[in-house]
Amino acid sequence: MHKTLNTTSVGSFPKPERLLEARRRRRQGRISEAELQAEERHATEAVIRLQEELDLDILVHGEMERGDMVAYFAEHWTGFEESLPVRSYGNRYYRKPIVVGPVGPAPELLGVGAYRAAQALTDRPVKGMLTGPYTCCDWSFNAHYADRRALVRDLAAIIHEEVQALDDAGCQYIQIDEPALSTRPDELPLAIEAMGIVTEGIRARTISHICYGDFGQIYPALLDLPVQQLDLEARNRDFELLDLLARHPWPADKELALGVVDVHRHRLESVEEVERGILQALEIVPPERLYIDPDCGMKTRTWEEAREKLTVMMEAVARVREALGLS
Amino acid sequence: MNTTVLGSYPKIPAHAGPSVRQALQRFERRAIGPRELEDVFQAATRRALDVFSAAGLTRVTDGQIRWSDLADPVVRDIDNLVHGGLQRFFDNNFYFRQPTVVGRLQYQGGVLAEWTRLAVGAADRALKVALPGPLTLLSLADDRTYHHREHFLADLVEVLALEASSIARAGAVEIQWDEPAAAAGVPTDPAEAIAVWTSLIAGNPAVEQSLAFYFGPAGSWLDHLPDTGVHRVYLDLVAEPTLIDRLSAEALPFEVGLGLLDARNVRLEDPLAVARAVSRVSRRQGAGRVWLHPNCGLEFLPPDRAEAKVKWLGSVAGRIDEEARNTHA
Repeated sequence: MHKTLNTTSVGSFPKPERLLEARRRRRQGRISEAELQAEERHATEAVIRLQEELDLDILVHGEMERGDMVAYFAEHWTGFEESLPVRSYGNRYYRKPIVVGPVGPAPELLGVGAYRAAQALTDRPVKGMLTGPYTCCDWSFNAHYADRRALVRDLAAIIHEEVQALDDAGCQYIQIDEPALSTRPDELPLAIEAMGIVTEGIRARTISHICYGDFGQIYPALLDLPVQQLDLEARNRDFELLDLLARHPWPADKELALGVVDVHRHRLESVEEVERGILQALEIVPPERLYIDPDCGMKTRTWEEAREKLTVMMEAVARVREALGLS
Repeated sequence: MNTTVLGSYPKIPAHAGPSVRQALQRFERRAIGPRELEDVFQAATRRALDVFSAAGLTRVTDGQIRWSDLADPVVRDIDNLVHGGLQRFFDNNFYFRQPTVVGRLQYQGGVLAEWTRLAVGAADRALKVALPGPLTLLSLADDRTYHHREHFLADLVEVLALEASSIARAGAVEIQWDEPAAAAGVPTDPAEAIAVWTSLIAGNPAVEQSLAFYFGPAGSWLDHLPDTGVHRVYLDLVAEPTLIDRLSAEALPFEVGLGLLDARNVRLEDPLAVARAVSRVSRRQGAGRVWLHPNCGLEFLPPDRAEAKVKWLGSVAGRIDEEARNTHA
């Protein structure tokens, strides 16, 4: 680990063709669950080795077992029904879950096994990855609960158990993604309340990733989200986010993880443009509390694109460290 | 009972059939070429039109099968408007490429007119086209050129009116101006909005033009609209159910669309409650001046659920018509 400008990744990595084929074959009943899991482990190891090779500080397991960040949990928790795909942008689709009854946990915890398996592959810290209650609610059809608050609070209780298990397993960084957080500014207090339930009593460093919304509507109130690190997408809109963050003093008890490469475009950023974004962010957040990562999960890129974008990111960080004499 | 949809429809099949999703994936992998991709776009458009037709809808759209998002076709048709970064589309888990203004807007045209011509040729009934209204387009756009709202809006109105003309020439019977921004809480000055819509509609006086408000309440706009020349106003009554009371009590000088079907939830509405609401409004507005429709585009639903909503719309409209006949018999 570096003392400054630690590098990480947001969550998902592209699934190798071999795993995609295994997932197809599993859906057709042509291979067993154990055979699919073997492919997932193989792919997870490749994700870990790539991050080690590129020298990232805090690793992710790549979410090889997950199709979608909400649907994966909904498929295992009770109270949900699967749907056919719904488009989210461009040619990307997800199976938007349908809440058809009171939500409840899966027979087995979902996040801790993936964390343990990935952490066993490396000496570097691996993040525990979960989706937050507000996003799980917002990205599902609610055909059961009379009000969203009740659903969000029930989900928060389930996710707290997942977070607690990761904490008990010794996970140092637990990320609870809330990309939907900026959707309805009037519901930000609900999202904050729910995150309070999720992170209560947790010793690990907690992170929340938020992206592709109108941050102007929820900032600086967003700083009240009870996590230690906010992980925000910025490159997608040419680092305009930094102008917003610069209007308020960055709080001493918060870390910022800054997205510096666009994960929804094929175009490869130049090292210089990423470097400029990092330098601009350093005017707001001190280097020991500034983390650098891509805008979002990289599952929509090819393996080569993911490697190239992370390589550019690492080169830019190295240049900034060198220019500023950071360790 | 007049029935319609507001715009989009899923690009993938509920069961078997043409899938734009799969075709685009295959196209990216070079497994198919432009001709086959075009065939799938046309087949998926025909499927959407068939679903609308089977439900007996009065007026249809092409399901916006070729559109990436509401702004996409006008970005293609207007010079100096380009696709920018991804942004959330109002309060949905749906994202659009932000229209980015890189120079003074000029009308280029061609794309949406051709798509419309093809859709009109494939449809067995009157077809309308939904376009982003100027206030919505302005609120969604990243203006890197004008830095002057009035100038930007004035040019937007002109290029959009030119786009509307070309679409009408291609055979669309109605231009529906979508203004979710005016319903979803984007701060809007009523005087400016009325001036903009009046000027926009005046640009094509021979074409039927409507305003669609969704993702929020729009009842407060009704007082301002009579002088705009608008022919019809589509309202989101899922977001503003209390508006039924007003529509049942006050005759409006334009036709009114009742968005009583929630196109953002899989639940099917209670047919009796919907029929009752429609009857109340029809008694005041006149039956031929009331339309029933989903409260927004149907692409927020999985394809099987979207199809079920359209069927449901057709069957509820049939029931309302039957009750009206029995009442008069």
